[in-house]
Amino acid sequence: MWLVRPAQPGDLNDILDIAGGQGPRMSSTLPKKQDALAAKIEQSARSFAGTNNASEARRFLFVLEDTGSGRVQGVSGIDARAGNGQPFYNYRQDALIHASHELGVSRRVEVLYPSHALTDHTLLCSFTIRPELRGTDAFELLSRARMLFIAAHRELFTDQIVVEIQGVQTENGDVPFWDSLGRHFFNMDFETADQYSGLLSKTFIAELMPPNPIYVTLLSQAAREALGQPHPQTRATFELLQHEGFHSGCYLDIFDAGPVLEARTDTLKSVVTSHPKILHAANTDDGEPCLVSGGEGERFRCTLTALTESLGDEVRVPVKTWNCLGRSSGDEVRITPL
Amino acid sequence: MLLIRPLQENDLDALYAMAQGAGKGLTTLPADRELLQKKIDHARETFNQRCAPEAGLYLFALEDTELKQCVGISGIQARVGLDEVFYNYRLSVTVNASRELGVHVRTPTLHLSNDMTDTTEICSLLLSGSHRGGGTGLLLSRCRFMYLDDFRKHFSEKVFAEMRGVSDGNGQSPLWDALGSKFFDMEFSEADVLSGLGNKSFIAELMPKYPIYLPMLPDAARAVIGRVHENTAPALNMLQAEGFNFNGMVDIFDGGPVVEAFIHNIRTVREGINRHVMIRKTPLDLNVPAEDQVMISNRSFRDFRVTTIPAGCIGLDTVSIPAEVAGALEVESGDLVRLAPLKDTGRR
Repeated sequence: MWLVRPAQPGDLNDILDIAGGQGPRMSSTLPKKQDALAAKIEQSARSFAGTNNASEARRFLFVLEDTGSGRVQGVSGIDARAGNGQPFYNYRQDALIHASHELGVSRRVEVLYPSHALTDHTLLCSFTIRPELRGTDAFELLSRARMLFIAAHRELFTDQIVVEIQGVQTENGDVPFWDSLGRHFFNMDFETADQYSGLLSKTFIAELMPPNPIYVTLLSQAAREALGQPHPQTRATFELLQHEGFHSGCYLDIFDAGPVLEARTDTLKSVVTSHPKILHAANTDDGEPCLVSGGEGERFRCTLTALTESLGDEVRVPVKTWNCLGRSSGDEVRITPL
Repeated sequence: MLLIRPLQENDLDALYAMAQGAGKGLTTLPADRELLQKKIDHARETFNQRCAPEAGLYLFALEDTELKQCVGISGIQARVGLDEVFYNYRLSVTVNASRELGVHVRTPTLHLSNDMTDTTEICSLLLSGSHRGGGTGLLLSRCRFMYLDDFRKHFSEKVFAEMRGVSDGNGQSPLWDALGSKFFDMEFSEADVLSGLGNKSFIAELMPKYPIYLPMLPDAARAVIGRVHENTAPALNMLQAEGFNFNGMVDIFDGGPVVEAFIHNIRTVREGINRHVMIRKTPLDLNVPAEDQVMISNRSFRDFRVTTIPAGCIGLDTVSIPAEVAGALEVESGDLVRLAPLKDTGRR
């Protein structure tokens, strides 16, 4: 069975293996270095346990475990506050009208403004999964388990929720938007900058980013075409998130111009549809496929199950699901259709 | 004899013919009769002190006294940016550095600026093809410094000139193509003409207001920023010899440089001397090489006149000039005139 649970120190090697196998870039927020990753797992554990001190940002890291083999096959995360106490950088794509009444000319000019507006919004991040699982039920479980966690711990998260989608990158690793803009100012290639942004404080971005707005028309054609476009490999993620209720707004990633999706937390499909129910045993393993989650904080678990019967405040699911969740009859769980 | 005098009503035809011959690139004097007439009217009001000194447009004609015709023009605008917005780009540098990463990046940046507002501009220099050479261009340009010197209170302490930037034979400007045209859907030559017709600030209103980072422009465009058109190189050399320097401002359309100098530092001003006129009876050959000529001005605000005479005419307290020169300058014996070398003597 597939199980999503909080990451633990013992998952370190599996996660490194997944992160390392993702090519140049799948997630900038998941460190590829052992020390950094270990620290991140520890921070996540404190966040789940609620033992982090007031100044430390709550950052949650989930893993997708194949309970048969005990191996971790994917990772996903939530930062309770984007930027984690530091500014969270984006470009906001906006338009100005340059008009001259005397000359009878009016022209729309697209501009990218540096923005911190999304700082402190809850951020979905660190989504990484083995390529062969992309688009499967396990993929959906890993992504949506976070929404169920949010639904069950609503007070930890903000009313607005955002997620950055990877932008356009060519086969040979070039990022057109970076090559047209960031490279001139950071004096480094995309991958280096991306790694720094995962590892270091964000101060370097403030120090190196051009301080003024950027005229879109002065970008290269390839860069202009990449604005707000998701990387083809992220299609499954993109569609899943759209289905959840996320939509593209005016915010772009500062490095690759990938879209930043936004949603109101309380209108997310998983949040709206997942109602607390009382757990009961089912006699069969058949039924409608569902996500079911239970447990608070570090005991949070989420898995796939067959829903045999849902009556009022009660649900009947197979006992093996109980075991997987670490719950038993009479406990409260959340359930939502796959 | 070649004589500088204020531009007059009857110079319109000659002016129009010169403007037509000049072709593209002289934005302040387009071949447009109505506009040229307005400029003449403005100049007449200025010399007759019927407009405020700071609103003045001082246009001087170079007259070939034998032909009795205007063969060149040069001008001073007392203040720019008074009734319109005067734009330049300031070429500046943005430094981004991260100690943590050991990165230190300098990015040349263009900032839109109105810093030249309220400054005196020397402008509108145009010399008929038939009269080029022999120091005529120097006379036409440098006579203005004698005027600025004598009537400083009407001008700012600093004066500047906008130099024509790089464009090719077809009138294509690399900077315009990379920058201006992206914001204003028009050929450089068209924009240039509109500019001359007094629409420059309207066009500027359509231009980008935020700083432009030069690395985002193509190499061809970056290469022409602060560079002059090859035809303008002699004019730039002449102004540099007078003490003008690039001040970091460039034209928003073609990237041509702005050069400036304080009036008291201009060579013609520094080397100017006053002498009393003494009309000589003995004949004098006025045709000497440019190196040996000095400019002589009558120091009149309303009827400013300048011509050249051999340097040898200058005495200790006086300058002895033939009656014909005195007549052209409208001076008599005993009048105080001002003299300055026509060419850079190399003394510093």
